[in-house]
Order: sequence, then C-alpha cells, then structure tokens
Amino acid sequence: MSAGGSDKGLENEPNVTPMIDVLLVLLIIFMAALPTMRKAIDVQLPDPNPSVQPANQKSDQIILSVNPGGKYLINTEENTLATLPERLKAIYTGRPDKIIFVKGDPTVKYADIIAAMDIARGAGVLVIGVPPKDLPAAKK
Amino acid sequence: MAMSTGGGAGVTATPNVTPMIDVMLVLLIIFMVVTPQLLAGFNADPPKAINLKDHPEDADNDHVLGIDKDGHYYLDKKLTADEAVGPLLNQIYSTPGRDVFVLYLRADGKLPYSKVQDAMDLAMKNKVHMVGLVSEQTPGTTSTVKGDIVETPGIKK
Repeated sequence: MSAGGSDKGLENEPNVTPMIDVLLVLLIIFMAALPTMRKAIDVQLPDPNPSVQPANQKSDQIILSVNPGGKYLINTEENTLATLPERLKAIYTGRPDKIIFVKGDPTVKYADIIAAMDIARGAGVLVIGVPPKDLPAAKK
Repeated sequence: MAMSTGGGAGVTATPNVTPMIDVMLVLLIIFMVVTPQLLAGFNADPPKAINLKDHPEDADNDHVLGIDKDGHYYLDKKLTADEAVGPLLNQIYSTPGRDVFVLYLRADGKLPYSKVQDAMDLAMKNKVHMVGLVSEQTPGTTSTVKGDIVETPGIKK
C-alpha cells in the first residue's frame, strides 16, 4: 500500500450528513409546532345598550339555567345532567330557531356551564346566548 | 514507506459524535427560543367538552383573554390589571376597519362562573360581539356538530 495511491483517489465531496441531520430536526420541530387549532364554543354577547327593553319577549325562547347542585332548568322544567341531552334533543328537533340562552348561577363552576353548553350544541343548538349580567341569574 | 496495519497510533475506535452534538445544539437553541413563549402567560386548565368548534388561529386578529386559577386576567398572555382590561379591549375592538369582533376567553374550569360572567360583561361593554370559550377536546372524542371540524389545519384563506 503506497501513500497517495491512485486506487480510489481523494474524496473531495463535503460531508453533508450533519447538515441533513440538523435540517431533519428543524423540519420535525416545525411540523409539530404548526397545526395550532383553537377549540372553543362561541357565545353571543347581549347588546350593551338595548334601546328598548324588549317588552314583547318572545315567549317561546328557551333559557337553560344552571343552578348549584347539578340542577338544570329548561325554562321552568327541572332536569338533571343525565336527562338533559334527551330533553334538549326532543325540544330542538323540528324547531326552526336553534337558539338557547344559558344562564348560569355565579357560584356554579365554570366547567359545569361549559358542560351544559356542550350538551346543548350536541342537541342541535346553533346559537348560544348569555343574558346580561345585571339581570340576576335568578329563579323566576 | 509502507504503511503497516496495527502500528503507530492504532485504529481509533471512538464513534464520531460531531453530528450528534450538532443536532443537540440545534435542539438546545430551539428550545431556548421557544420555551419563554410556551411558558409565558398563565396557569389555566380550560374545561373539557366534546362538541367544540375549530377556530384556525389568526395571529393578526385574534385576541385571547385568559383567566388563571386565581382569577387574574391575562390579555394576549400579558398579565393585565382588572381595571385595565376594559380600556384595552375597547382600544383593540374599536380600531377603524376592524371586522372581527370575537374575543377568545381561556379560563380555568374550576373558577366560579361569576368570574367568567364578569369577563363577558367587560367584553360586551367594550365592543366585543362574540366570545369563544376556549375548551379542550375530551380525549378520544370528536364534535358531533356538522361544520365544526376544519379540514385543512394551518391553511388560511
């Protein structure tokens, strides 16, 4: 074996393996970072300055009140978390306006309100509204 | 000058660690850059739900109001005093030409609802028309509502 033999010659190409490693890592990181999708429930806010207090409140609107102790009132009808999906589905099937107002008691956990809205959406509600805060989330 | 095998310095059996070190350094740098953004903000555990609507993120128009476990407000991940939230929202949502009036509300699920009501009240009085209550998808479920799932994530029109 002689030094500088011309068997294979000197390899003159740069070693690209480290560069490719680095680029692959970058690619993977950007793939993991990109698909950011926010998941949320949309809620319509009330008009901040209603010109006229709606005296002729439509009597057929549906208000779901969430009260402490897992009590859910659809207008005045008492329901539990278990019966709520069925009941709402029955109401909203064949009903043209798919609007619900969700009125939560201030002491109830936020997660319970979301659970109620979640069920409502599952029952076919398309628009969720909240009543203005000043109106007490009261029992009638 | 014939080269003899097994003589002199011998065969080096150490693996070549240079590429690995390169990769590690890049990872280190990336995490150094990204971590402050990930940790920035607040500690809130949004409630879990099933029928959630996908909202592709739109960094230019989206604003997120966070409420952490202790009830502090974070507007766009910056800690904001309670009384400063209203004016800031007003400023954002009354910009001329603005046509998106959605505020995302990312609140901890264990908060009492009154805290969220306060936030919605503030939003309502400051030109926000709609609030998106940010929640997490319960693992293993998908929304049953038609049109909730946006097919091509990350692609904006």
